[in-house]
Amino acid sequence: MVDYIRETLELMQANLTRTVLTLVGLVVGVAAIISIQVAAAGMAAAVNGAFRGINMNTFFIFPKSTQGSTQRANLGLSDLKLLDRNVPGVETAIPFGQTRTIVSAGHQHIMLKFGGESYRRFSTAPVVAGHAITRSDVENATPVCVLSAKAYKRLFPHAADPETVLGQSVYVGPKRYVVAGILGPATLSTASLGFDINNDVVIPYTTFYNDYQRGRPLFGIQVLGSRDATLATLEANAKRVLSDAHGGSIYQTFDFGFFTKKVDGFFGVIGTIVGAVGAISLLVAGIGIMNILFVSVSERTREIGIRRAIGASRATILIQFFVEAFVLAFSGSLIGMLAGLGIGELAQQILIARISGTIAALPWTQAILLATLFATIVTLVFGTLPALRAASVDPIEALRYE
Amino acid sequence: MNDIAIDLQEIVKTYKTGSIEVQALRGVTLRIERGEYVAIMGPSGSGKSTLMNVIGCLDRPTLGNYRLDGIDVSALDDRALAKIRLEKLGFIFQGFNLLPRTDAMKNVSLPLFYAKVSPKERRERAQRALAEVGLADRAHHRPSELSGGQQQRVAIARALINNPAVLLADEPTGNLDTATSEEILSLFKSLHRSGRTIVVVTHDEEVAERANRVVRLRDGLILSDTPTPHGHFSEGSVVQREAIPQS
Repeated sequence: MVDYIRETLELMQANLTRTVLTLVGLVVGVAAIISIQVAAAGMAAAVNGAFRGINMNTFFIFPKSTQGSTQRANLGLSDLKLLDRNVPGVETAIPFGQTRTIVSAGHQHIMLKFGGESYRRFSTAPVVAGHAITRSDVENATPVCVLSAKAYKRLFPHAADPETVLGQSVYVGPKRYVVAGILGPATLSTASLGFDINNDVVIPYTTFYNDYQRGRPLFGIQVLGSRDATLATLEANAKRVLSDAHGGSIYQTFDFGFFTKKVDGFFGVIGTIVGAVGAISLLVAGIGIMNILFVSVSERTREIGIRRAIGASRATILIQFFVEAFVLAFSGSLIGMLAGLGIGELAQQILIARISGTIAALPWTQAILLATLFATIVTLVFGTLPALRAASVDPIEALRYE
Repeated sequence: MNDIAIDLQEIVKTYKTGSIEVQALRGVTLRIERGEYVAIMGPSGSGKSTLMNVIGCLDRPTLGNYRLDGIDVSALDDRALAKIRLEKLGFIFQGFNLLPRTDAMKNVSLPLFYAKVSPKERRERAQRALAEVGLADRAHHRPSELSGGQQQRVAIARALINNPAVLLADEPTGNLDTATSEEILSLFKSLHRSGRTIVVVTHDEEVAERANRVVRLRDGLILSDTPTPHGHFSEGSVVQREAIPQS
């Protein structure tokens, strides 16, 4: 087998121009498909990664505004307990509420996003000093707050260390909150999309309710599902539980899957289109390979005759031409694959990494396996006819052939 | 060990060209013993090429029986015939038929490749075979870099490498000038002396008379089968005869 491969490589070298021209089609086709796939995967990963700042098992539930009695559909604190108890997989449910407001600390007065949080956290940013909102903070509605990395930096620009800020106060209007914890930056944040889902300053949701929401129906409820729960099931159950409790009122839910699905769909479409174009170029490339093999068979009729006379069986000749087809197809698709990965990586470095700071891992092993698989298919589809023709050469005729 | 190298019994070969049937061989019975040097002669259309193809296991007889080195090859399939050609036969052609892009060494070792011999042993045996035909220093030359006589000697080395039962040559000097022909024919002679069985198909009387036995064909039948005069000569006189053109 090694000898066949060596012989084919020598043959390719002897007809270098022809070989290169034949392989160009294959290389370009494969490279186009792979580079777009890599770039698209990188884009999708970057955009989806942007949502990783928030726990992805989060959803929001609101009364539908267009229905008979909005009065009856109004949500209250009792609904939080209802969801907590009656919907399996709910970790915590808190009133949805956030506001952009001026937060002050010392001489700093900064417009920041301000909202409620539970002791089971919606944010995934790490705690770098102090602690997050605790269970007793929630139960006692204590006036404490946790600052995001951005809020810390802007409210306490001169602090040497986050630890020194703990126990200091920040004010929202006349209301005073004691800093209990500081967060670090989330590994990925929605800020790269132009907006940030997480609040800059959070206080216990009970405190937020008491200070800003009391006496009014809740705008909506923010629910955190457990890791192993399915969002679709959670949402359906939550809607049913609330609807039963509110006399058949209608509720709607919202989650980030909507975004990620859109993103995946968008890149899926691009991938399909490029895939189709690539497939056509590969078909043409395959026919090119078939052509070069046919030329090779008729050019080497005499050689085949010699080999047959010397003792090669039909099967041996068949194998020889299959190996030739495979070596051609494999070298073409491997070069294309590597070029594609290179271009894809470059696209990621230049375009995507700049936006999101992330690079999707390149599927090297997969690419080589894929190149092998692809070369095998090309060999079988486009190499069979020439190989059969080579094997059916009549040695007597071939030796007479000048 | 089998004393009979080639045993053809009532071989008939019929070709169909459209509706016309051509009988190329019409009942050839021929027995060639081990160690013989036989020339097969005949005008074109006499069936000598067909006979050569049948003997060479490139073609199967329509009727009749053919035993090569004791093996009945008339009923073998393609794979088995390829194996017979590989192990029992060595071909030498008029047009040399070397692989053009391949050096002498590789050409000579090609049969060993099909016999699945290891690359190392292939190289060693090819080197030895090339030395036997006097081309040890041309191992890495391509056919285009060799003279006609040298090419034919490479072909002879290739034919010998598997130690075949029969060496089958088709007009081996047809493309060579007189001096080179003489060179090749004396190589044949020494191969014969070392015990090889050689069958030469030719229309050249001078080539035929070097053999020990001449079989003449006409219209698909054996016309005559006679020993050549020097077939009866002693070893010594044969050596003398071929010493002259070489000097």
